[in-house]
Amino acid sequence: MIGFLRLAIFAIIGLGGAYFLMSIYMRSLRREALEKEWDGAVGEGLPSRETFIDEGMAAYERSLRAKLIWLVVIVPLVLFGLVLYLMNFTK
Amino acid sequence: MTYVKWTLFGLIALIIFAFFHYNLPQHDVVRIVGTYQERQDLGDWTRVFWASPDDQSATLTNRDVQFIQAVEVDGDPMVYRNEDTGWGWPPYFKFDTASLQTEADDLKSTREAPKWAVVTHYGWRSELFSIFPNAVGIYEVDSPDVRIIPWVNIIILTMLLLIVLTIRAMLKQFKERSIDPVLEDVEEAWDEVEARADAAGDEVRGVWSRFMAWLGTFKGKPRK
Repeated sequence: MIGFLRLAIFAIIGLGGAYFLMSIYMRSLRREALEKEWDGAVGEGLPSRETFIDEGMAAYERSLRAKLIWLVVIVPLVLFGLVLYLMNFTK
Repeated sequence: MTYVKWTLFGLIALIIFAFFHYNLPQHDVVRIVGTYQERQDLGDWTRVFWASPDDQSATLTNRDVQFIQAVEVDGDPMVYRNEDTGWGWPPYFKFDTASLQTEADDLKSTREAPKWAVVTHYGWRSELFSIFPNAVGIYEVDSPDVRIIPWVNIIILTMLLLIVLTIRAMLKQFKERSIDPVLEDVEEAWDEVEARADAAGDEVRGVWSRFMAWLGTFKGKPRK
């Protein structure tokens, strides 16, 4: 039981950390892309640089791509379940 | 210094290789010839080569361990231990030790009428230190020359490579977006400080030269 708790705590720390870092990284990439997009398209009736980036980031937070970061947590958990099943409950 | 550096690199590479070689699954084609159970003393440094099947086993100095005796295709003997890994390291989450022992018993065969089996295991066999690889799975095969593709190892190593590359990309992005701008700011600030110091220096120099010129006015006209 203690062993399982220890595993669970390590998993929460590890997966939570991975999710946190991944979300920061993806956000940073998106912001950089938005900055470059605005810088590359001056004088085409775009809103100010700040508004453009704020709107783009708000759209990003709602996007599927931002939600896919959950895979960082889900895939290891699925693999864990798969290993547990294959190791013990199949021949 | 170069030798020290390369020795260190070599040592680190060796440790990483040994780590994976010990923990990743390997497959042996063997003939199972027997199983036994034996009390093992676990008090010395070789403790790390035995599992901790449950919470109490961490403090026990000895306990019974199950073993599977096998003979490889070339006739060499091989003995596996058969222990639960539980929720601990390495993460095989093996709890079916008793079932595995039963399967092994079921696959026992003689030299005259051999039945071949693939044993999946991790760990090392060392006669000198009395350590044994831990069998984690077993299945029967028709002939000893079976081709085994190590899918699990391929998947694990590929994923680890992807993780390393992702971390590298993250660090690069972090440096580009968070460290470099700060450094640029510092550089600019430093340039400003330098410029101000230069200006102040010029001013001081100006004051000084004016003072010297003023002193010079006390001198008489240079004589011819």
